[in-house]
Formats: sequence, structure tokens, C-alpha cells
Amino acid sequence: MSNSYVGLRAEALESLLIEKGLIKSDQIDQTISLYNERVGPMNGARVVAKAWKDPEYKKRLVEDGTGAIEEFGFVGGQIEKLVVVENSDSVHNVVVCTLCSCYPWAVLGLPPRWYKDPAYRSRVVKEPRKVLEEMGTTLPKDKTVRVWDSSAEIRYMVLPQMPPEWSDLSESDLAERVSRDSMIGVELLGLDCSA
Amino acid sequence: MLVDLSQVAENEYGLKRENNAMDGIHDLGGKAGFGTVEVEDDEPYFHESWESRVFSMVVNLGDNTDRFRHAVERIDPISYLSDTYYGRWLGGLETKLVEDGFVTQREISEHMRANGISDEGRVAARPSEHISKENKSQNSEQYYNTPRPASSEPRFQLGQTVRAVPTGSDGHTRLPAYVRAKKGEIVAQHGEWIFPDSHAHGLGEMPQNLYTVAFSGGELWGLHLEEKTEVRIDLFETYLMELQDE
Amino acid sequence: MTILEDGEFPLKELQPPMTNGEVIFEEPWQGRVFAMTILLNKAGLFSWDEFQSQLILTIEQWEREGDKSEDYKYYERFSDALNSLLGKKGIVAGEELVERTEEYVNRPHGHDH
Repeated sequence: MSNSYVGLRAEALESLLIEKGLIKSDQIDQTISLYNERVGPMNGARVVAKAWKDPEYKKRLVEDGTGAIEEFGFVGGQIEKLVVVENSDSVHNVVVCTLCSCYPWAVLGLPPRWYKDPAYRSRVVKEPRKVLEEMGTTLPKDKTVRVWDSSAEIRYMVLPQMPPEWSDLSESDLAERVSRDSMIGVELLGLDCSA
Repeated sequence: MLVDLSQVAENEYGLKRENNAMDGIHDLGGKAGFGTVEVEDDEPYFHESWESRVFSMVVNLGDNTDRFRHAVERIDPISYLSDTYYGRWLGGLETKLVEDGFVTQREISEHMRANGISDEGRVAARPSEHISKENKSQNSEQYYNTPRPASSEPRFQLGQTVRAVPTGSDGHTRLPAYVRAKKGEIVAQHGEWIFPDSHAHGLGEMPQNLYTVAFSGGELWGLHLEEKTEVRIDLFETYLMELQDE
Repeated sequence: MTILEDGEFPLKELQPPMTNGEVIFEEPWQGRVFAMTILLNKAGLFSWDEFQSQLILTIEQWEREGDKSEDYKYYERFSDALNSLLGKKGIVAGEELVERTEEYVNRPHGHDH
């Protein structure tokens, strides 16, 4: 229910369009969410793709995440300090906020529901391998799993490893393939989904 | 393991940490019983329209983040676990509005009854009279925390092994229970930031040095549940202390 | 369903205000108007060119006749543009919309959705 006339008018329009069979109500919800799923995390994906293509940028990104993303000019941004943590052959990173749901909005948009719910928050600090396994990601036993608990105002984003089979792709093609979940750390990219 | 409590940094801001402080339900790290992570494909931005209205209300009401977080932490524990994310926001919002004197709990209940909703139902808000008496004039203009100019030398150095204090807090704090009394290594220094424990209670910003501390999985969870895991977490200076004769 | 399927992303002019890299809708109705616009375009009821032209006209009109004591509100212009275009195309007549809106305005307080 809206307070404003324009809000009520929007509701009225929606009801008319539905009656006329032109749209369905759940399509609207899906549209908004898809827009956020793509638009929000697209910022992070662009950062990752650039880091993959430009080793100097990657160095800057890992040393000073906040400064490095400013180069993109993402509008607004309440991330006072961003730390980008790089996945490697020896370390896999994953991000959580056990106390609430702190998340790097400026680069990843809004957090998914599971990120904010008790199951993930309680378990990923204690049994990250099992949680990731349940979410479809298997990590080798000799790799260290490093969980970052965002307990203060520093925000964390994972820089995933680039699958070797993607090395010929352009930067913008790469950006299309970087998923939000890989930048949280619960997903690995590429054909071979265990690293 | 005995810890000499006299060595626990007496918080010069007068915020007491206690041995038998009651932990909030929000402090979920390491807690058991929550089952698998449920991933929803193509989840909508707001699952139901009331959620977007709660979002709007909270965003438009302003106030500082630490106070709002603390209000959410204090809602009825059953509500916290079952009302979902925006349900928690609603509980926190109701709590704050009642504490700040904008509505009374009775008005909320009466309105629900007038709309045919039984007041046998659970009320999430748990406004505290104690909280409403706090000094709100000390609130910072900032909604979100920002780094503050450094005014004190960091007490702990990179690579130093430290122990998190063993005590909890009855007020707002960002030291989770699962880390208390555990040993870890300083892996980053972040300068001074607004101290949430004071900021949430209208006691001012009281900036303090912030560190990233690394704890091994074995140290945190005892028996090795999983091989080669570690947790890195950001902790304020007064959440930490030097090792004692170990 | 993906908005980006055709390789066509909504026009830059349609880029809504964003902050934190995320689309910001201050009010839920804004998100719904935005989504309706995208859906109706996908359903083939109008092209982005047509929408853009209407948006430009609507904004110009506001600049000529609008109440300048008010801040420029992007989504109100957007919503006006959508309604005008739907009216011109005979999809939703102006009077229909006004009538339905009045019904909503007169709904009893506390109406449950």
C-alpha cells in the first residue's frame, strides 16, 4: 500500500494490465530480482575481469580494494573499506557475516536470502567445506579454506581464479561469466567445478 | 584455561564486559541446529510486498547503523530465527520506535486487533526502558561507520599472537561468542573506526584501532572437524589482549 | 527469462538511479513501474525508441509546466511517460487509469494485500 498518489496509480496500472492479460504479477517480481542479480553483481564481475586481464590492476586491487574500484566510478557506495581476497591454488576464500548480514553492496548488489539466514551464518565458519559441498562446490583437502567474518565495517569480496579455458576471452566476455556466488566464495568458475 | 581478568583491558569508555552477560540470539557463528543452506533460484528482491515497505521505512527513518543493528539483535529470539530477514528488520524498527517514544507497544497491539489480528500472536519488539533513557544527543551524523583519523598508536603489531577477551557484553558488541578467549594472529591493522559498542548506545564514536585476526579452525572448534580451515575476523582493540605467560 | 537475452540492454536513458551498484527504488511502486515497462516492451507493445521519445516529451512538459518548487523526481516522470504511451497506443485509456486509481485512493485504511 502506497502513501502517495503516484504509488497508488502504479498499483492501479498494474491491476489493469494484469486484468487485460498483458502481464502477470510474479513477472514483475522476477524482473526486479533479475535486474538486481545482474546489475548489482555486474560491478564486481567487471572488476574481476579487469584484474584477470591486467596484472598491474590486480596488484592494485589486492593491495587497496577501495582505491582500485574507485577507478570504475561506481556510483554512490557505502563501502568505506573494501578488501579483495584472492583465491589461489593453496587458498580458497569465502565471506560471511555471522552477526548480521554485512555484504559488499557496491560491488555485489543485494545479498541473497541464504547469505542472511541462520544456516549459512552459523555453519560456514565452522564447517565451510561441508556447507560449500552442499551448495555444489567441492574443495580439495590440501587447500586451505579461509572464512572472512565481516564483523566490522570492512567489506570483503573474493577474486576467483580464472579457469584456464577462458584465457582467450575478451574482458567483457569474461565479466559476463563471473557469477555473484563466485565473488562470495561459495562457487567455483569454469567447467571443472572442483579446483 | 584460566584467564586473569584483571588483564582484560578495562574499557576506559566505561562499557563493562561481564562473564555472565547474556549472548544475543543474533550471534550465530558456530551455533548448531540450523540445517542446510537453502538456496532459492531466481529469488525475488522482496519475497512479499510488505518486505519492501519495511525496507523503505527503515531506510527513510535514518539513525545510526549500530543502533539499528542493536535493536534487531534484541528482538524476541523466536522471532529472530523464524521471521526471516525483513521480519527481523520489522521487529527492530518496532523496538526502536517504541523506545524513541513515537508509538507505544499498546498502540501497535491495538492496531493489530482492530485489523482482526489476534494479539495472542508473538510480538517481536522488545523495547527496553533502559535503552530509551540513553543519551541520544551523542549520535554521530554518520549513518554508516567510517574510518577516523588515527590518534593512538596500535597496541598490537602485525604477526603478534593475541587472545580475544573471554567476556561477553549485555550491550551491543561485535565480538562473536565463538571467538572469545581464543588465540589468534594479527594479520592486518586498519586504523581507528567508530566503536560500535559505544555508538549503538548513544555514547559517542569513541574511535578505536581495528585489526584483522586469524584463528585456526582447530583453535576455534577443538577437535578437527575439517582439515585446513581458518577464520579471519575484524576485531576492535578492546576485544583483544596480550597472551599471558603461555 | 532474462532481460539481457536479446543482447539489448535497456537504453542508457532508462538507467535508473543506482547506488552501491544496485538499482535503487526508494519506494516499491518505482520498482514495479520499472519492471512493468520492461515487460511491456518485451511483450512487443512498444519499442525502446518509442518509450525514449515519450520520456523526452514528458520531461520537457514537466520542465515547461511542472511545479518547480518540487524536486525533480525521476520515477514520477518515468511513470507519467509510461501512462502517456499506453494511452496513446490505446492499451490503457487515461480515464480507465484515473478511475481505477480513485478506487484505490478510496480504499479503506488498513487494506490488506
